Amino acid sequence: MEKTNNSRRTFLKSSALLGGGLMIHFTGLANFDISERTGTLGTPAELIELNGYVKIMPDNTIKIICPNPEFGQNVMTSLPMIVAEELDVEWQKVLVEMGPHDSVKLGSQFTGGSNSVRMYWRILREAGATARYMLVQAAAQTWGVPAEEITTKAGMLYHEKTGKKGKYGDFATKAAGVTVAKGVVKPKDIKNFNIVRTSKKNVEGTKIISGKPLFGLDYKYDGMLIAMIEHPPGFGMTVDSFDATAALKMPGVKEVFRQKIYEDGFEQGGFDVRTFNEVVVVVGKTTWEVMNARKKLIVKWKPAGDTKDTMGGRGGAREVVVPGELESSDAQYQKMQDFASKPAQLLRKDGDPETAFKNAAQVIERTFTAPFLAHNCMEPINFFAHVTADKALLVGPLQAPGWTEPTLSKILKLPADKIEIQMTRMGGGFGRRAYGHYLVEAALISKKVNAPVKLIYSKEDDMTYGIYRPMYTATYRAALDADKKLIAFHVKGGGIPEHPIHANRFPAGAVDNYLAEGWQIPSNITVGAFRAPRSNFNAAAEQSFLDEVAEAMGKDPIEFRLELLKRAKENPVGKNNEYDAARYAGVLELVRDKSGWKNSGTEKYSRGVAAYFCHSSYAAHVVDMVIRDGEPYVKQVFSAIDCGIVVNPDAASNMVQGAVVDGIGNALYGGLTHKNGVSEQRNFHNYRIIRMREAPKKVEVFFVKNDIDPTGLGEPPFPPVFGAVANALYKASGQRFYKQPYSLKPTDKPIV
Amino acid sequence: MATLNINKKNYNIDADPDTPLLWVLRDIIGLVGTKYGCGVAQCGACVVHLNGEAVRSCVTKLSRAEGKKVVTIEGLSETNSHPLQKAWLELDVSQCGYCQAGQIMSAAVLLKENKNPTNEDIDDAMAGNICRCGTYLRIREAIQLAAKDQKK
Amino acid sequence: MKQHLKSNKLFSNKARTVTVLTILFSFIILMGFSFENHSLVTVAKTEKAVIDSVTSVKAFQQVYRVLMSPRCMNCHPAGDVPLQGDDSHLHAMLPKRGLDGKGLNAMKCNSCHQPTNTPGLNTPPGDPNWHLPPANMKMVFQGKTPSQLAKQLVNPKTNGNKNMKQLIAHADDGLVLAGWNPGEGRTLPPLSHAEFKKAWIEWIKTGAVAPKDK
Repeated sequence: MEKTNNSRRTFLKSSALLGGGLMIHFTGLANFDISERTGTLGTPAELIELNGYVKIMPDNTIKIICPNPEFGQNVMTSLPMIVAEELDVEWQKVLVEMGPHDSVKLGSQFTGGSNSVRMYWRILREAGATARYMLVQAAAQTWGVPAEEITTKAGMLYHEKTGKKGKYGDFATKAAGVTVAKGVVKPKDIKNFNIVRTSKKNVEGTKIISGKPLFGLDYKYDGMLIAMIEHPPGFGMTVDSFDATAALKMPGVKEVFRQKIYEDGFEQGGFDVRTFNEVVVVVGKTTWEVMNARKKLIVKWKPAGDTKDTMGGRGGAREVVVPGELESSDAQYQKMQDFASKPAQLLRKDGDPETAFKNAAQVIERTFTAPFLAHNCMEPINFFAHVTADKALLVGPLQAPGWTEPTLSKILKLPADKIEIQMTRMGGGFGRRAYGHYLVEAALISKKVNAPVKLIYSKEDDMTYGIYRPMYTATYRAALDADKKLIAFHVKGGGIPEHPIHANRFPAGAVDNYLAEGWQIPSNITVGAFRAPRSNFNAAAEQSFLDEVAEAMGKDPIEFRLELLKRAKENPVGKNNEYDAARYAGVLELVRDKSGWKNSGTEKYSRGVAAYFCHSSYAAHVVDMVIRDGEPYVKQVFSAIDCGIVVNPDAASNMVQGAVVDGIGNALYGGLTHKNGVSEQRNFHNYRIIRMREAPKKVEVFFVKNDIDPTGLGEPPFPPVFGAVANALYKASGQRFYKQPYSLKPTDKPIV
Repeated sequence: MATLNINKKNYNIDADPDTPLLWVLRDIIGLVGTKYGCGVAQCGACVVHLNGEAVRSCVTKLSRAEGKKVVTIEGLSETNSHPLQKAWLELDVSQCGYCQAGQIMSAAVLLKENKNPTNEDIDDAMAGNICRCGTYLRIREAIQLAAKDQKK
Repeated sequence: MKQHLKSNKLFSNKARTVTVLTILFSFIILMGFSFENHSLVTVAKTEKAVIDSVTSVKAFQQVYRVLMSPRCMNCHPAGDVPLQGDDSHLHAMLPKRGLDGKGLNAMKCNSCHQPTNTPGLNTPPGDPNWHLPPANMKMVFQGKTPSQLAKQLVNPKTNGNKNMKQLIAHADDGLVLAGWNPGEGRTLPPLSHAEFKKAWIEWIKTGAVAPKDK
């Protein structure tokens, strides 16, 4: 029988040979390296660390540490590319390894908010350039020549005058002792880039297509038990009592117990969201045995009633009441409608919108709604934990180790340096894995059973747990004067449990009289970041509203937006406008030109356009829709993106294409409803996910070329897809769509 | 005790005959390339070949697999040289990568039975495999590329 | 339904020449084989009593309720995609019939449908022979009126080349029986299998009369 080479013991052994003072990597899933070179590090070699991101071996193997967890945004390739560029090494010879959580050496390590490349751009350029500087200094000392006369190329050092040359590996040990004064290291001129801005393949591509262990669920550890959680079936419910007699008789079962997650008064940070504070845990030998034992578990649930959470924060702890109502979707929509007519929080006001609306020749008012969305990562929530009296090891898929570690430290009463967190590749994240409750759960379970444990959620557990995209609504109003000029704009948005409004975004800054307001309805349904939070609703509502306003004004939807952006650029209204009007206009112009917006031949499609700004980037799409078998089908899409410098162009295109597909799917099918607190969708049989057949035949991606430091890319292309789809649907059907998902079929009865 | 032939190797498995093949592969044998996604035959992340047919291992019991030839992603080729694996790399299909083993295993059955698949054939054959990252366009393209490669 | 897959070419050629009269005649004769207590002679003697349109139509009304229930109709769709669920929506992920009714490539019925039901809610129901009618004999139930369905059922050209004996035997076909063992969370057909079988045989026995559509 074959044994996977990923037991904890193997790592300890090889790590111990690395020697003192060096960073020790317990990469639980074997070396994260370029597949072609897998195995070259099989014999422990001396790695010389120049900084947290760069390690060099005497044989000139370059190892670059990726700080941020990978969930498909390709950071394990793009971030090391930035280091390799400045270090001046051959990309093909670079080995990439996912770093453990280590904020001292590797920074914030937060995967989310389309943050990785933009946050690490300067840090990694500096890291690469500094390591190169150290190597140059080391060579200069050894050769007795001035450092400025030394050149580098592809991992080699040269001194032209003396004809001396050497590998980085020859000087790595000496370089490690070089001190670097502040300000002496200069990064490359971007004109000289030869790695960044060229397409490099996913460094884990080969492992993925050959089924190597990469993900949290793949992680193994000697003596590891499997744990699953029975969480309340609905929001607002909790454990009353349970009977484990039958479950305990099932094969492989070790323990069944009730587990509290946070003690009363525990001060939660922003990423400490957990839906259920008490759960019933089943621990056993194998996944299937635990799944079967759960079926025999009898749990009595009860309404939790109103409960209190204690939220930490700069202003000190505050108590928040979580309402106990067992919510249903119809009532949620009704409640949103009621709240929409109540006074709301003022978020921004320019000019005199009240008067402008009063004097308007025409007022267009439309209300948009969108349901809760579940992230539905392909890899269900899971995490490994091994907690002992004096330390803890946690391994698995996680977006925000830096947020979770302090929580674990408080709960386990262990200092942070006794908590080791390793991040595996994630089978999707979309924001869901920024919330570390499942690490806390895994850790508490491991502590309780005094054994290494992997906590696994079933798909149903995952989908019904919460931490959803909130349920949103917004009412937009536009005032036109007698000449059909837009004189005022008003948005009042709300949601359960938070509102979606970004008050300082377009069209703020482009309209003289502007008003933005927000309100929210408390709920026990938990929410979290979902690929471009808030933006993913706004870009649907606002962008289809603007389409309708343009139509009322008799204007082309792109020209209308460009006119507003021209105003915002030349004579912006108000302060704090978040966006750059010229870059915003740039993507609209690019998509207009590339799609042949008004060209003949395009009439066979129902065309929709939308653009949006978020995460410091700009995205615009033109979608071409047809009606196929009675259902809308987006056949092709043109996308224009401005995210500054594109580090890895082909991978960036892939992500935009994926965002387009994801956007179409969620716009047409996504939605989670509730009945008496219970999620009506439990698995993919009744939570429809876009499939191959519904994916466009073509998504052409165009990037605006500029030398601006990179901005976000994982999220920005996603929101405007919703608006473009809604606008194309209008063309296809003659009907405006205000409620998402745009073709949601009734789900009141279960589909079996 | 059941004997399973997986990737040309025989394994004696001591497990309940009702155990899904998925968990036999993952938890007992340690072949983790086959993924758990939904557990109810909806997503295709767990597709393996059983006597050359694509089956969803999350609902395929150990008893059904007994005496048959099981091929998982780990056994699709010895050197990642299957035309689909090559095409997947060539087009850099993967994003998070979690669904891709299942996608490739489904596509392999398609290509075996249909040497010249049209886009519609691909859409039909791959309808059971979900990719949350939305890499469908590249999957389609990679299958076309592999079909061409296969003919060489 | 096992029989229609092993469709007998010889028989189907023969079947093309069959007229309604000969169908009636042959099933009366066949009934003689089916019911051991009846000799050919007795069948001939009771011929008048056999064709009882009132009883037959009444029996078919019961049969129709069962055949149009999701457990039967879902695999006799009007299109090439099976139906699913108690509301008979199109099968999620849209698997297609294929020539032999067993699906296509990586989307064959038994990729998911196992020899037995998979335990749990929303899991695939199972049968060793799970399939749709083949492409050349679709035997559509969906959308059929009682009259249309009854006529389709007695005509070998549209019933899977079944003669009356095979038609009667079909009530005990494995896949038909699977309708009464549909897996967790699915409703049963409106009659028990015994009631259905009784109505089915009674319908055939009394002349397999097609009701008139109102």
